[in-house]
Amino acid sequence: MAKKKDSVDHGSTEGVKNGGDVDPDFSDPEGYVDDITDEELCGDLLRKKPRETDGVESIIVVDGLPVVGEDRLDKLKGVLRKIFGKFGNISSEYFAPGDIEGVTAAQASGNPLPTTYMFIEYENSAAALEAVKTMDSYKFDKSHTLLVNLFTDFDKYENIPENWVTPQPQPYKDPGNLWYHLLEPDSFDQYLILKIGVSKGGTAANDLLVMLNASPEPTEVLNRAGGTETIAKWSPSGTYLASFHGKGVAIWGGKDFEKINRYAHPHAELIDFSPNERYLVTFAPRAERMYDNSEVLIIWEIRTGAKKRTFSEIYKSPWPVIKWSHDDKYFAKMGPDTISVYETPSFRLQDNRSVKIAGVRDFSWSPSDNILAYWVAEDKDVPARVTLLEIPSRNEIRAKNLFNVAECRMHWQKSGDFLCVKVDRYSKVKKEKHDTKYSGLYYNFEIFHMREKQIPVDSVEIKEPIIAFAWEPIGSKFTIIHGEQNNVNTSFYGVKKGDTPTLLKKFERKRFNALFWAPQGQFIVLALLKSAEGPLEFIDTSDFTIMSTLMPEMTTDVEWDPTGRFVSACVSAWSGKVSDTGFTLLNFQGRVLRKERIDRFGNLFWRPRPPCLLSNAQIKDIKKNLKKYSPQFETKDRLRLSKASKEMLQKRQDILDAWSDYRRKKEDDYSQQKKQRMLLRNNVDTDELDSDKSQMHEETIDVLIREDIVPIEE
Amino acid sequence: MRPLMLQGHSRAITQIKYNREGDLIFSAAKDASPCLWYSHNGERLGTFDGHNGTVWCIDIDWKTQQFLSGGGDMTIRLWDCETGKELNQLDRDSPVRTSLFSYSGNMVVYSTDAAMSKPCEIFLADVRDPDQLGESVTRITVEGPKVTALLWGPLDHTLITGHESGKLTQWDLRTNKIITTVEDHQATINDMQASKDGTMFITASKDHTSKLFDMDTLECLKTYKTERPVNSGCISPNLEHVCLGGGQEAMEVTTTATSQGKFEARFFHLVFEEEFARVKGHFGPINSLGFHPGGTQYASGAEDGYLRVHNFDQSYFDYKYDFYM
Repeated sequence: MAKKKDSVDHGSTEGVKNGGDVDPDFSDPEGYVDDITDEELCGDLLRKKPRETDGVESIIVVDGLPVVGEDRLDKLKGVLRKIFGKFGNISSEYFAPGDIEGVTAAQASGNPLPTTYMFIEYENSAAALEAVKTMDSYKFDKSHTLLVNLFTDFDKYENIPENWVTPQPQPYKDPGNLWYHLLEPDSFDQYLILKIGVSKGGTAANDLLVMLNASPEPTEVLNRAGGTETIAKWSPSGTYLASFHGKGVAIWGGKDFEKINRYAHPHAELIDFSPNERYLVTFAPRAERMYDNSEVLIIWEIRTGAKKRTFSEIYKSPWPVIKWSHDDKYFAKMGPDTISVYETPSFRLQDNRSVKIAGVRDFSWSPSDNILAYWVAEDKDVPARVTLLEIPSRNEIRAKNLFNVAECRMHWQKSGDFLCVKVDRYSKVKKEKHDTKYSGLYYNFEIFHMREKQIPVDSVEIKEPIIAFAWEPIGSKFTIIHGEQNNVNTSFYGVKKGDTPTLLKKFERKRFNALFWAPQGQFIVLALLKSAEGPLEFIDTSDFTIMSTLMPEMTTDVEWDPTGRFVSACVSAWSGKVSDTGFTLLNFQGRVLRKERIDRFGNLFWRPRPPCLLSNAQIKDIKKNLKKYSPQFETKDRLRLSKASKEMLQKRQDILDAWSDYRRKKEDDYSQQKKQRMLLRNNVDTDELDSDKSQMHEETIDVLIREDIVPIEE
Repeated sequence: MRPLMLQGHSRAITQIKYNREGDLIFSAAKDASPCLWYSHNGERLGTFDGHNGTVWCIDIDWKTQQFLSGGGDMTIRLWDCETGKELNQLDRDSPVRTSLFSYSGNMVVYSTDAAMSKPCEIFLADVRDPDQLGESVTRITVEGPKVTALLWGPLDHTLITGHESGKLTQWDLRTNKIITTVEDHQATINDMQASKDGTMFITASKDHTSKLFDMDTLECLKTYKTERPVNSGCISPNLEHVCLGGGQEAMEVTTTATSQGKFEARFFHLVFEEEFARVKGHFGPINSLGFHPGGTQYASGAEDGYLRVHNFDQSYFDYKYDFYM
């Protein structure tokens, strides 16, 4: 009220000053009751009025800080500012000094050291959130682990609703024996067939079929129409089968392929299991564009289904983005000029920092040791470099400089005994605005002998373009397919201790573009994939005999079964082929066992097996005494075969009996109609060619036929 | 034994047929002149000249007196077998797709394509007097997918039509009503041929299968699966065998190798539905197949323009399926 009066007074004085004019009277009429609230008058302004709690979301509380004396306080603050300044600008801070006497007392008595705390206010709440997410339980030093919380958390936990109840512990769900399939008495392997479905209502649904590769006929284990939307994947030891759905990923296992767990990650497109099946990585590249709080990459614990770590953005690199060490202990991901190695089960950066490597291009883990191999591209006068890094010590155990490098590719042998780095080298380089063009390429294979002292490196040079490369999984051979379009050669090299690789055998002028080693080594399949009339060649590399050469019409995929007994050669409908899709099952010698044509056939995936439990010595022993064991299996096979043929004969007999019954009825009907039939054809019996003798006229025709007998020579 | 290669057509064969005794083979092609051949040596007796386009369908009556042909020139023609003279011809509004003599030989039935905004129609005519060809006894307009194959039922009481959609319809010729419709096939019925006694028939469909049906009930008895469209199928008159022909569709033939086209004639066991033999030779898909009425030979006509007549070797007759315990 007072305000209004004041303004009115002001107006009147002004009016007088300006002379003459009588200003309108703004004063309230007599008896006016002011019932207009401030909210009505200037609600919009009031809403913007700063409140005491504003900006609280931007404040974090850091607890567990060390208590230090006056002399070191500035240094401590400086360190903290540096650590927490990473997440955004700090607008204000408050550091609680703490009880310095308490420290000396604690040190004297051996009690835990007292700690202190600080408040940090960021410019925005996002920075605060990120700081909490990353820095909570950060190991500040040996005896101090930081506890970082949002300031608002205090409010949240103080105002717990009264009717809040403790969540009931979920009863343990027994998934049954997840390795049920390994109990199969005859050790038959399973394979998964993915059939491309007809999409229903916009969402694609593909059919899943799991078959047991039994002898003599495969049997169906699972048939799930529309079991996945895109594709399906076995876990590395074959325990789980993962299927993709719009809402995320589900895994199945056990006797009847029950659902074991599911991981909600909308639009997950790629997944990767950790080698020991402890963790699952799901990747949804589209999430980045679709949601504000994007979780592009999520790492899950498979058994509990807990989200262990999420990443909202990832550096462009080929899948798998996350690479696991062989024992699930570490995982690493590449960023610009860094490799970040994380530890499990804490899922924190190992040693609290990434490995800074300027110009890193690619890296990979050894399949048997915690050794990381990476390579760095050339930069002006600094040569390219391949480095082996031991984790967690981060010691460089070997490095090799390379010159004139265009590209490197690292291939570990499955047993981790060797690392081969394929180096594309150039003789000329032309730099254009954004591209660098290399010409006169030639190729080096740098072989690192991992099991020898100091890791010696040998190299093999090949001048021709390389089409494919592969290590023998167990053994010491590697195979290279190289050459120009019409002159493709396949070379086998052997690596020996302390020796340069030697050329063992070269198959010249044979067009192949892919090679597949048997999982136990020794046998290899060479193939020309995705080409009409592409050959398949089965080679025994112990003496380099070609066991079999096939000329199928087309092959798109080749896969060995996990035991190395069978090979599947597939023609997938993903390749765009409409007819003749399906697969051929061969034994390791290249003998065709069965052919199956399946419409809309997508893929065949063998169910992997866990690693063998036998020691190397035991395996060797079995191999030596194979003659002792094999007869019992041969009799078993024979028995099965004769049993099956008996069953088949019985089945045929049944079919034939049913057919004969049907035909007898029909023949009765037919003979009853004979009169009517004759009537239709002027009483001429035409049921058999010679049934009406009166209509038969004998006619003799002489035809000259010359007979030549020519023996056909093989 | 070497097959007989009958070379006389200049374009793709559309249909071949043996006469009742099996001494003659009639063939029609996309050229305008159906041919007549001796089945035992492949010698050509003559041609039926007059059509102005593809001849889609031919038939011979049981006495081998009259020959019936219909084609893309939108005519149905009746010929004298012995002289090759045209007895009568009739213009229709759209191409004639199928034509057949009845069991008695007194009647003919033929169907026309649904084309140029004309519906698919089935015509029946009495041809004891060839001049009466035009006087249709019955005329049925077919709703929906057009007729692509035709058969007479037992004693000329019924008619069975195979359609472009794969459905089969059985018509009562006394009332011209539909008795049964079955939809076992998913794509065009390319051919239907009756067994020797007419109690069963085999279909050939674009859906890569061939099926055996009961003539009375249209119950599907057996299914023979291949991986290519089936153009024609026939049942052996004396053994429990069926022969199927087909292969890659004509329009895709030029883009693939012969071995990929699967142009073989394929023999299946009638009862066990299992394939036991293949006969190679054609370099285009087989369009029409026929068993000799005595079961001693079979003939195939293909997109490559050739007719191949194969006499069975003794080993074919000796071959027994083992199914006894």
